[in-house]
Amino acid sequence: MKKILQLTLGIVTSVGGFLEIGSVATAAQAGALFGYKLLWAILLGTICLIFLVEMSGRLAAVSKHTIVEATRERFGFPFFSAVMLGMVLVAFLVLVAELGGIGLSLQILTGLGFRWWAVPVSLAVWLLMWKGTFSLIENGASLLGLVTVSFVVAAVKMHPEWGSVAHGLIPTVPGDQKAKYGFVAVSILGASISPYLMYFYSSGAIEDKWDTSYIPMNRIIAGFGMTFGGFLSMAVLIAAALAFQPRGISVEKFEQAALLMTPALTHWGFYLFALAMLFACLGAALEISLSIAYFFAQGLGWSWSEDLTPSRDSRFSFVYTAIILVAAVPLILGVDPMKVTMLSMALTAATLPLAIVPFLILMNDPSYLGGHRNGWISNSVVAIVILISFVLAVISIPLQIIGG
Amino acid sequence: MKLVRDVLDKKLTDREKCEMGRVDGLLMRVGERSQPRITHIVIGGSTLWMRVHPALARLSVRLARIWGPRRTEPITIPWSRVESVGKDIRLDVKARDTGALDWELWIARHVIERIPGGGSEEEEE
Repeated sequence: MKKILQLTLGIVTSVGGFLEIGSVATAAQAGALFGYKLLWAILLGTICLIFLVEMSGRLAAVSKHTIVEATRERFGFPFFSAVMLGMVLVAFLVLVAELGGIGLSLQILTGLGFRWWAVPVSLAVWLLMWKGTFSLIENGASLLGLVTVSFVVAAVKMHPEWGSVAHGLIPTVPGDQKAKYGFVAVSILGASISPYLMYFYSSGAIEDKWDTSYIPMNRIIAGFGMTFGGFLSMAVLIAAALAFQPRGISVEKFEQAALLMTPALTHWGFYLFALAMLFACLGAALEISLSIAYFFAQGLGWSWSEDLTPSRDSRFSFVYTAIILVAAVPLILGVDPMKVTMLSMALTAATLPLAIVPFLILMNDPSYLGGHRNGWISNSVVAIVILISFVLAVISIPLQIIGG
Repeated sequence: MKLVRDVLDKKLTDREKCEMGRVDGLLMRVGERSQPRITHIVIGGSTLWMRVHPALARLSVRLARIWGPRRTEPITIPWSRVESVGKDIRLDVKARDTGALDWELWIARHVIERIPGGGSEEEEE
């Protein structure tokens, strides 16, 4: 019974935790610019993420190591420090984007500019971590994140042509705007395949004391949860394609993206979008700040648990406190969160090999996984998607910088 | 036992299972006639950064002089205190007495406990 409850909660968590400013902004931009043509990128990213999340849970359940702990032990500190530097920098940028997303949502809901929200929002996120427990953060934020299901309602109510939607699932090369197309595809892949989600998930499995009996449950959570999450992203893309593309509106600003649901749900859709993004970005901001703190604590052998009072794991608490304060600074200075979002998503895609290649080596190491190590299917799926993301990133990021 | 695979970078816990860092380095005695022997486990900033680049190690020593518990020497624990080597390495010591928790305690006292709701690390001992 307890496991069934955990299972439901796990699926709900992953659905609620999937969408954040990155996946919404990239999917909305893709729909507005290219109609359904980039749906394949979401499909590809989601499939890859299903495999990666399943592996993260399996590693924790079998070896009792989080990804970070195993990476430090297996590859040694010099290599680990390079992974840490890359991952923490990218995660920090994503955190700025998420905090900005909360600020922009509040700007829509209250009329007060997002810069004014930077400090209160950071303080609120910090307070939730300071006072909250792991399950409060995991379940609470994600349950609220279920408001994002409204994207599916909006997309269906706009009556898309399902035939053309299905066509979008097969990759095609557009006639013009090839560089932009590549860049948006990379950003979608980066937004779907978020390494911080894996670090968070594997730390959660250790916090919840998983053992090998959780392997089947882990598989179902990863499969169903990420699939539903992928559907939500696709719904955003479909709604954007119907709402924006015919009118030639491109989504450069958050307020433009907020018009996504208005054709289906009128002005309520505008506020519902803001509310959905508020909760989704809040959940993501919590997960990312914790992931960064986990990275330091696990990598350096400090005590860590979101369930301890802060003074019992002071270095861990200090890291998330400091990181959340620093992340507010660019927002106070007025840096555009949407620009940070697109940049951080593309950078995530470019740095994926740094996170995923050592992870795949671990997942094939019998000393960590024994008989539960990866089979050839999971190895090849992940390797191929990461290769595609990396190649696309290396080609399209410079083109975007030159072109933009 | 393979030192690099089984010992280096593993997590250290004390006799009360308190986490006290990772094996950042190992001290070895190489005698002319005897076999090389591991004498100490080393925990600490400069040893760790030395493995990446000596300049980083120098920087970490310089920073440690101006901020924090002001410990510039790495912590060494005699190999004889190793109780078991498994997923983690268990030591027959009390973490607090070794100096491995200096930073943890310093940050608790100087930062975390001064923020409301941070709790007190000594109260709960």
